[in-house]
Amino acid sequence: MNATHAAWLVLAAPLAGTLVIALSFKWLPRQTAGWIGTLAIAVSFGYSIVAFVQLQSLSPEHRELTSSLWTIARTTGVDASATILVDPLSVFMILVVSGVSMLIHLYSVSYLKGDRGYARFFAYLNYFVFSMLLLVLAGNFLLLIVGWAFVGAASYMLISFWYRRASATQAGIKAFVINVIGDAGLVLGTFFIFRSSHSLDFVATFRVAPHVFAYGSGGITAGCLLLLVGAFAKSAQIPLHTWLPDAMEGPTPVSALIHAATMVTAGVYLIARMHPLFQLAPAAQDVGAIVGCLTLLIAGTIALAAVDIKRVIAYSTMSQIGYMIMGVSAGAYAAGLFHLMTHAFFKALLFMAAGSVIGAMGGEQSLDRISGMRKALPFTFICFLVGGLALSGIPPFSGFFSKDDILAQIGSRGGWYWALYAAGYLGAGLTALYTFRMIFRAFLGEPNPQARELEHGHLFHPEQPTNPANGEVEDTDVGFPGPDHVIAERALPMRVAMSLLALLAIAGGIVGIPKTTSWLENFLAPTFAGSTIHLAPSNTLIYVGLALGTVIGLGGIGLAWVVWVARPGSSTVIAARLAPAYRLFAGKWYFDELIDALVVRPATWFGRFAQGSFERVFVNGTLIGGTTAIVRAGSAVVRSAESGFVRYYVAFVVIGLSGVGLYFLVQS
Amino acid sequence: MLSILIWLPVAAALVGALIPLQRAGGLLALGGALGALGIAIALIAGYSGHGYAHVTDVVWIRSLGIHYALAVDGLNLFLVALTTFSFALAIAAANIRDWPRPRVFYLLFALAESAVLGAFLAQDLALFVAFFDLMLIPFYLLLGVWGGPGRVAATLKLVIYTFVGSLLMLAAAIALAVLTSEHSGQPLSFALTTLAANPLHKGSQEWIFLLFAAAFLVKMPAFPLHGWMPDAYREMPLEVLAVFSGVLSKVGAYGFLAIALPIMPLAAVHFQTLILVLALCSIIYGSAMAFTQTNARLIAGYSSVAQLGFITLGIFAFAPQGAQGAVLQMVNHGLVVAPLFLIIGVLAARAGGSDDIRDMGGIAFRAPVLATFFLIVAFATLAMPGSGNFVGEFLILLGLFKTKMVFSIIAFGGVVMASVYALRLFIRAMHNRVGPKVASGEMSLRNALVLAPFIGAILLFAIYPQLQLHRSESTVTGSIVREQIDTGQNVRVAELTGLPAGWIAYGPNAETTIATGGANK
Repeated sequence: MNATHAAWLVLAAPLAGTLVIALSFKWLPRQTAGWIGTLAIAVSFGYSIVAFVQLQSLSPEHRELTSSLWTIARTTGVDASATILVDPLSVFMILVVSGVSMLIHLYSVSYLKGDRGYARFFAYLNYFVFSMLLLVLAGNFLLLIVGWAFVGAASYMLISFWYRRASATQAGIKAFVINVIGDAGLVLGTFFIFRSSHSLDFVATFRVAPHVFAYGSGGITAGCLLLLVGAFAKSAQIPLHTWLPDAMEGPTPVSALIHAATMVTAGVYLIARMHPLFQLAPAAQDVGAIVGCLTLLIAGTIALAAVDIKRVIAYSTMSQIGYMIMGVSAGAYAAGLFHLMTHAFFKALLFMAAGSVIGAMGGEQSLDRISGMRKALPFTFICFLVGGLALSGIPPFSGFFSKDDILAQIGSRGGWYWALYAAGYLGAGLTALYTFRMIFRAFLGEPNPQARELEHGHLFHPEQPTNPANGEVEDTDVGFPGPDHVIAERALPMRVAMSLLALLAIAGGIVGIPKTTSWLENFLAPTFAGSTIHLAPSNTLIYVGLALGTVIGLGGIGLAWVVWVARPGSSTVIAARLAPAYRLFAGKWYFDELIDALVVRPATWFGRFAQGSFERVFVNGTLIGGTTAIVRAGSAVVRSAESGFVRYYVAFVVIGLSGVGLYFLVQS
Repeated sequence: MLSILIWLPVAAALVGALIPLQRAGGLLALGGALGALGIAIALIAGYSGHGYAHVTDVVWIRSLGIHYALAVDGLNLFLVALTTFSFALAIAAANIRDWPRPRVFYLLFALAESAVLGAFLAQDLALFVAFFDLMLIPFYLLLGVWGGPGRVAATLKLVIYTFVGSLLMLAAAIALAVLTSEHSGQPLSFALTTLAANPLHKGSQEWIFLLFAAAFLVKMPAFPLHGWMPDAYREMPLEVLAVFSGVLSKVGAYGFLAIALPIMPLAAVHFQTLILVLALCSIIYGSAMAFTQTNARLIAGYSSVAQLGFITLGIFAFAPQGAQGAVLQMVNHGLVVAPLFLIIGVLAARAGGSDDIRDMGGIAFRAPVLATFFLIVAFATLAMPGSGNFVGEFLILLGLFKTKMVFSIIAFGGVVMASVYALRLFIRAMHNRVGPKVASGEMSLRNALVLAPFIGAILLFAIYPQLQLHRSESTVTGSIVREQIDTGQNVRVAELTGLPAGWIAYGPNAETTIATGGANK
């Protein structure tokens, strides 16, 4: 079996899983759907490994394979087939996506136990993974866009999974529409590129790009900027990020999937995949780097003020994706993808741990009510701690190496990139601060009633589940983890998934220890061989960066300790003293309000105007009123036809027509 | 062969109407429609991808030079298939219910199918006009007799609008033939090829084009000529509405492609911007209406206005991709809007008979199959990538992007808005809390059997749109007349390269150059 065959099977397995579960959900006994789903992704992961091995057996310059199954649209110069591209970049992505997704599926097998939408959930989940794999394996723009939109659709279905919640359907449509804006950007960007390259195929486009696009010309810059719109929407970069925090409405494993393995990393992948084009459009690269930098800072500050445990993690995702977008935009491709991988490990772990906490709290997510869970949830606590340390970039955890790798590469570009460099380390400080604010508040301090109950062996569950977003009583018809919900401490699949991720979060950095192991960089090298940006940070830069990262990370944790543990209450004092900043952070920088005022309201207003005034006055009044008056007399005929003369009328029409027809037939 | 195709449905229904059994009318009409569908599938399978097939050409009215000329080409092949497919399923859906005066109902239904097929297959302008008018009559009656409570006013509006449009077109057709005959010195002829081969000069083309355009735009309907649409959509029986919206609206778009552009190329270029602006207005206005409406039928109706706007954009992009996309999109749109109306019928039955989305909600849990079908249709309606509609829209916008970039970029606004109204309809009907009057429950097996072929066709076109694209490419682009304004006043019109069709094509080999004045032909 060669690499492309394996890659097709990587795609086929989750699709088959979706179909099997969807078609047989009525007959599947209790947890079968979960196991079928997990098995499908495991098969996918297995074939990813096969693809990896097969690809490595080729010589480096031949590690770019394509394979087509059928023609989608080959007409009038458009050349779109179902083509996949298998190269180190896509193989790296399918390994990360299918590997992490497999563990998330395993976790979900227990987490969703007792939910009445169990089979539906796994059908969606498999479809989500299929979409993401399609996205990263696509060999032309059309298939990329298809995967891109499928990911959006799958996220929509999963975010509004508990669709009796108005807040969930709202969040779902928001995510979908913002993603469609991204799709539109991607399509339009494709048009700009296709106009000159005359091909939708990646390999062909990249080959001709340097010849048909002048460096920095308007066409390629516009095209790349529009591709960035797609990347920003999918990867939740400002100002298209507002869907991501709301996406927390989905069940927790969905958050893990969206944030770790699929979806938000798509933008990073896109920029890395399109690097031959972006390198011709320096302006677009700079925009990407700056927006990534702004996102990482803004999201970090919002995470400081957020009280919902899942939203804190969500904003931290935005912030970390900001690092990756900044990295790949600035030319640090391998480093950005390295961070993508380590982030997938520790972020999935953090969400799973948060899911365990939420399970123990009976659906409660507010940090104001979660406290002192350390004794009640020792295993979860350890996992949370591992994930938090990796996120904060503390050596030797995985996030430490990957984050510093990005920043060292950016620093090596010099010039104004030093500003990004500095902002990156500022963001690292914020990361450590908000992460440990969350950990200290949730796990240290006085145990809350639910934690006490659990310490005595009894798992709390509320009499009447309510929606944490608005306090509405849940409609349990659709199903929420009811009385038989479980937590990581008590379910083996969840423990296994979390343990494996914890190991990866600790040791995942091994593939890219600077100056020692550059396995990942070497593996990805063939994809980026043609890159015109060569970054080689000096030894000083690397070592200073590593030291700086350690100090800042530990400093952030120390500060969190002082504020939230050593001197409880000091956070309120600080919030009061810095009231304007606090309000800005807690108000999420008012992006929702801004978009509402600039886009949603005008559109709704226009719709109302069209319906209320224009349609009534102009179309119905002027255009019809005038004509109606003239033909009012004619209405009498219709009315009489309607009231009983129908038979005659029909007979008249039929006879008349036949008569005319007969006449002409005879005549001819 | 084509005559059998056209007249089979109405013949079968006529037999059904004469048999004195209650159910015979419906079943025989269904049989006739299925037979027509079979013939249409055979046509697709047998079509080579080039030129005309199954040409029928007999003189009908010698004194007026009117021929009974029918043929299949890449342009109408899939529209014929769509017509037979939609009608067969709509008649099947109608059979689920009981109708007052069933025999007349099915006879009219089948007559409508025959007339629509005739309009698509006609290769003679007079024949086209005759079928175009004939197809409207059954719908007037189906709406006026079997419609909802406000049917009288709705019928009146529909009759006024479309009748005015038809009269304009009739006048235009006669004028066109007479002027062409005078102009070229040949005997009077309505054959499309003859008319296309002897273009009039610009002034005449322009006013005749406007008359045709008015008729086609009313039929689509396009903004601002859609005034008849809300009432008619609100009152028409859903099974009839499914084909009315799914198929009849395409006759207008087909008219532009098959008649207006090839015969009046200069005028088409002259009015390109005007039509594009109208199409854009249709998209924006239709979308805005669709996401503020609460009546599910009107949401679907206004979404059709917007989608037809996209098709018009594709036609008037004057780029090969745009035309290909438009032809593909005509079929795709028919395939999604017809099941959408049938689904609305199922939904209304569960919401106490109300079409209002405020009375719906929360059905998905008890009706997972219906929810899945609806979701697929909704995603295809909003042209999500991965659907055939996306490929159509992609080609349309790509073509437009090449020739009129600004219009293309504005049209993307419509793409985003489509996602809002399609999902809004889906969510309000299927999700959220259970509506006050809702009795949720899975659809019946019969309903599922009617909807399943639509879903299958949507998926087929999603995976393999090339099925149609490669059959329509030759007709749409391959050959015939090339239209492009040079810097001066010259229009290049290619010679007929052996293919007896006339329609604007955009192929790379444009040959003959004639002066715009046309007088020196």
